Amino acid sequence: MDMEFLGSELNELSIRPSRGRPGRRRQGNNDDDDNFVSKNLHAERKRRKKLSDRLLTLRSLMNKATIIDDAITYIRELQKTSEDLSEELLEMEASSEDGGKQMEMGAADAADEMRECGIKEEVKVTNIDGNKLLIKIVMEKKRGCFTKLIEAMNFLGFELGETNVTTFKGAMLLSSCVLGKFVDALMVEQTEELLIEMIRSMKGSSECANDGSL
Amino acid sequence: MKVYEESGCFDPHSITDCPDLIGLPGATNCPNSLEDSLNLSSYNHHHEDVSAAAAVDMEGHQHYLLDNTATTTTTTNNNNNNANSHLIPYLTQELSYDQSNWETFNMVPSSSSPEAAAAAVANGGYTPTPDLLSLFHLPRCSFLPNSSISFETTPGSPSVVYDPLFHLNLPPQPPVFRELLQSLPHGYTVPADDKDAAGVGGLYHDGDNGIIEFTRDISMAGRTKDRDKAGKTTKHFATEKERRVHLNDKFQALKTMVPSPTKIDRASIVEGAINYIKELLRTVRELKILVDKKRCGQDRSKRLKTEDAASAADAGDVGCKPLGDPDQCYNTSLRSSWLQRKSKDSEVDVRIIDDEVTIKLVQRKKINCLLFVSRLLDELQLDLHHVAGGNIGDYYSFLFNTKIYEGSSVYASAIANKLIDVVDRQYAAALPTSSNSL
Repeated sequence: MDMEFLGSELNELSIRPSRGRPGRRRQGNNDDDDNFVSKNLHAERKRRKKLSDRLLTLRSLMNKATIIDDAITYIRELQKTSEDLSEELLEMEASSEDGGKQMEMGAADAADEMRECGIKEEVKVTNIDGNKLLIKIVMEKKRGCFTKLIEAMNFLGFELGETNVTTFKGAMLLSSCVLGKFVDALMVEQTEELLIEMIRSMKGSSECANDGSL
Repeated sequence: MKVYEESGCFDPHSITDCPDLIGLPGATNCPNSLEDSLNLSSYNHHHEDVSAAAAVDMEGHQHYLLDNTATTTTTTNNNNNNANSHLIPYLTQELSYDQSNWETFNMVPSSSSPEAAAAAVANGGYTPTPDLLSLFHLPRCSFLPNSSISFETTPGSPSVVYDPLFHLNLPPQPPVFRELLQSLPHGYTVPADDKDAAGVGGLYHDGDNGIIEFTRDISMAGRTKDRDKAGKTTKHFATEKERRVHLNDKFQALKTMVPSPTKIDRASIVEGAINYIKELLRTVRELKILVDKKRCGQDRSKRLKTEDAASAADAGDVGCKPLGDPDQCYNTSLRSSWLQRKSKDSEVDVRIIDDEVTIKLVQRKKINCLLFVSRLLDELQLDLHHVAGGNIGDYYSFLFNTKIYEGSSVYASAIANKLIDVVDRQYAAALPTSSNSL
């Protein structure tokens, strides 16, 4: 409502282009125009105020049951609208085949970016304090690689503690504190090897297919 | 709030505020009688208008109020609520026929306005009666900005039109109390015969089932009322209880429509409904933007195809888009959306700005939810940029910063719903023997 009002007000106040000194030449005219403009403004304001006051009164007169009923109706209506819209969106999605190409291109760029910045791939597993391991991985970012890594962790029976992932210039840095079951030096080594292997296998494909198995 | 105070308009928040302010147990807290909420010792009446609600129902029933009230002016709802919280206890105490309190009660209007005071003195107690009326009606009432009604008090005859409680065979009381009781909304006598919260709440809340209805009852001398409502032609209630039950059903219906689990009290239900409606509005707006964008994109690609077909004949460059696209849709609206979903053990917060989705997930620690979440994000075509989080006490808490892949149109509520669904399912499936799973 405010925007409409503002719009109409601006229209009414629109400056008519006048050559030379603005406002001086058509002095008399301007006065009349101003009068009309301000009268109109007042009338507009009064009208809007009247309407909004009455609407408020109407709302105030509603009793509890009516309010709740109206709320229920409105919610249903909104739900229906959002369902319809989302269906429409799905249909449009199905009919268009965009996006596939772009994703592939993105993946190729990632590897290049990494190389340009000199970011090296890295896998480091360190034993800190008993069964706790700190795992640090720097690898090329790919779709679904994070999922694969987490699956690997699960497979190894690790319980994830503080986990952080950052991406930068096509590379991904994963840093995670995990709790293992029986951690010893051998375990640490094996974990590192497994992870390195994983990363290598992911490197080849443009996308990490997520089939849920390792 | 300022506007609200000046115009005295109805403040929807007051519905939720009221019960707390009033101190009446009916709405939220202890379901037991109003007597529990009596705190007369701390009563202080610090503003003028107590019976402003009378202003709401001016139409045909002024004269009923006229005889028994003093000058009233309109003030804010909150003020009146505060007044109510003190006056209702007075009311109930009156019903215990405590004469001394009645006199104290008499002082109430006197502090409200000088005329009321004079009237009170003159009438020996008739003046507070309409104030009591207002007490029952206030929570939902508003005050018409320009109405300051001053009622004349006619000393002597109360000129009560109809005695709704006549047939109830109440023990003989001083006439003053008679008026008092007569002023009660129809069917109410001593409170606290309803044990359930709704009952007492009903005592309070349903009193407002119309000042209009109440007074209409008086004039029609009947117990049923016809009312036209959107979608319903008439509603007949044989008893107050039915009315309460009906209203309760409506609240329950509202509760079932709202996705998040809420407490059973009415205030929370309404609050949940408010939040849900806002969320639905956001979702609808988001979806509209998405549909528009998609449509724009489709139109553009269609046009491109025809142009490509045309230019291919000329062995032109099929790959590049014409820069001077004449009908390019300037869809510069920034899509933004925000949703929260809570379940028993998990909490999901999804925010979308343009193509960035930020997801916050908190889950009671039982399973490692990261894996399932990550899988879901892949499914939804969200590109993970940052993840941070870990174990905090009993909970897992994670924050995901993701980007929507170009061309995909996921929307916030879809993400949030799926997420909470997945998380809950995994949670439930994980440890069936644990007590948590119940």
